[in-house]
Amino acid sequence: MKKFRWQIIAVLLVVALVGLLAGGCGGGSSSGGKDTVKVGIILPLTGSEAMFGEMEKNSFELAYEELKAAGKTTVGGKEIKLMYEDDQGKQDVAKSATEKLVNQDKVNMLSGGYSSACTNVIAGSAQTLNTPFLVVTGSSDDITKKGWQYVFRGSAAPASKYTISFWDMLEKVVKPQSVAIIYENTDFGTSGAKGFREECNKRGIKIAFDQAYEHGAIDFKPMLANMRSTNPDMIFATSYVMDASMIVKQMKELDFNTKLFVGNGAGYTMPEFYENAGAATDYVASTALWVPNVTWPGAADYFNKYKQKYGKEPDYHGAQAYATMYIIADALGRAKDMTNTGIQQALKQTDMMTIMGPIKFEDWDGYTNQDRPNTYVVQWQKGKLEVIWPEDVKSASYVYPAPKWSER
Amino acid sequence: MLLGQTIICGLLLGGMYALIAIGMTLIMGVMKIINLAHGALVMVGMYVTYVCSKNYGIDPYIGMFIAMPVLFLLGCLIQKYMINRLVEVDSILPENQVLLTVGIMLVLTEAARLMFKSDYRSVTTSYSSDTVFLGAMSISVPLLIGFFIAMVFTLLLHLFLTKTDIGKSIRATSQDRDAAVYMGINSSKITMITFGIGAALAAAGGSLLLPLFYLFPDVGHLFTAKSFIITILGGMGSTMGAAVGGLILGLSESLGATYINMGYKDVVGLVIFILVLLFLPGGFRSLVKR
Repeated sequence: MKKFRWQIIAVLLVVALVGLLAGGCGGGSSSGGKDTVKVGIILPLTGSEAMFGEMEKNSFELAYEELKAAGKTTVGGKEIKLMYEDDQGKQDVAKSATEKLVNQDKVNMLSGGYSSACTNVIAGSAQTLNTPFLVVTGSSDDITKKGWQYVFRGSAAPASKYTISFWDMLEKVVKPQSVAIIYENTDFGTSGAKGFREECNKRGIKIAFDQAYEHGAIDFKPMLANMRSTNPDMIFATSYVMDASMIVKQMKELDFNTKLFVGNGAGYTMPEFYENAGAATDYVASTALWVPNVTWPGAADYFNKYKQKYGKEPDYHGAQAYATMYIIADALGRAKDMTNTGIQQALKQTDMMTIMGPIKFEDWDGYTNQDRPNTYVVQWQKGKLEVIWPEDVKSASYVYPAPKWSER
Repeated sequence: MLLGQTIICGLLLGGMYALIAIGMTLIMGVMKIINLAHGALVMVGMYVTYVCSKNYGIDPYIGMFIAMPVLFLLGCLIQKYMINRLVEVDSILPENQVLLTVGIMLVLTEAARLMFKSDYRSVTTSYSSDTVFLGAMSISVPLLIGFFIAMVFTLLLHLFLTKTDIGKSIRATSQDRDAAVYMGINSSKITMITFGIGAALAAAGGSLLLPLFYLFPDVGHLFTAKSFIITILGGMGSTMGAAVGGLILGLSESLGATYINMGYKDVVGLVIFILVLLFLPGGFRSLVKR
């Protein structure tokens, strides 16, 4: 009977483990009842995007605690409850998570959405299920371009609009003759590159090189060597963080000089970018939606609080989640009733100040329920991220053209 | 010049792929199952080296010699207490043992997430971004060192398999398990050692990549996928096949990235994979035999 006993022990162990895990992650998914307003939040809590999912979840919690202390988490006698689901960074999982939250958990509204691909799926399902969905990060243009009334995007700009102040700077300072465009071959990457490409064509700037790459590559040198042979004045890259640092590190290794390297937000503004690529980050510029030293009320406060509580520096992804929590609480507080239309209307009438700047959901330029973004240009200077454009909010002057590798 | 740069990068990277894939092909040969936890073992090896480097200041290339025994032990334990237990149960088809390796992969990945969070980590050494120039072609020093160590390991493994007693037993078991048992080989001990060696090689490959690449709990999937393609490419269970397969995959990915489009880099590998399955089902090994 030895074997039989083993099996019992194994089964007990598994049960104990599952119990532990469920207890750990669920965080009280039991109660429910009718005296809560449920907000379903879908984020990549595992998988290769988990780092961002974690940061956004932490920021939601941080904001929630602050709101709770201010008594704003109870609306009309009902408490707001956050229910997290993991999309693993995969579209199919995102879809089933959305359907589970709406059909089984009967949430009143949805939020979250990190990668554009997943956000797109969640938005589509939310619209079909008539459930309001407030996007946190997913920035692909088409998410708010389909006329979906239940989909709102406040803290995130459409990927092609990340570059508004950057174009201003290009016109006044850089004036490039030819540019190279590289981007990761995902919704986010193609969407960012497309916006930039169209703008280049409109302004008659020559595109010398234009290529996508596969996320997570170890060796970017073939592409970089190819790009060097076209000798562009400026490089515009849309990447997530680790690809970003691999690219600039390998540019340094190749001794590939360019007057200005500009990242399209995302990876190029994160603390990990500098940690990983070190001195290779110097003079890399980037478009940005948020930096801790931006002038909006509460921004620096959030940065410090987060760093103190979680022992890590947050970046704009965390700020988006933090601001989103405030928008949710504000909208639920104003909603006439907790039905889908009630919340949808309350969201539509939002007009508030957050750490991401003023938020207002408007229909413009083909977008529906899209906030008009505030954008900046930042540049890494000796390991510090400085705001260099617009000039009236700058924290340091720009360095252009960037010195050659051999002259640094 | 562009061609030279492409070929050098591809071959050097291919050498590292080969080292990781050899571990998988070795296990494949003896166990007749694809070890889908292989990438996770690479990941664990990388974390061991990472911790050695971060907490004790041990250089990754020396940390590798700590990670390898640790992973050898882990591999032995997994084989002895998990996979061998399934082998003993007749009602479980051998194909289903693959499912167990998926489970092991998930547990290792989530355990790493529990301990290290999902953060991206990397080891920066003084030579991380050193390069030597051969004409106008730049060659990264850690990549070059990694390639040579990988090739030395491959050679050592080859000698081990052909010259030593245990090595010969491993080959015998992989050729015909039943016959090997009749000849007096303790097959469960041999499978245990094989799994251990496979895991140690995975750790070596991971450690060699650490100064170049980065690390997060899910990094293993990348390596599982590459090793799988290489294992099929080389002919399942063939060490030299895997070495050649690794170089070919590295080279073709690199050429594809330069002359087609970097976005289709993985497609090149997968197309080769399908072509091999269609027209050369035995992999490169069957070419040699013919």
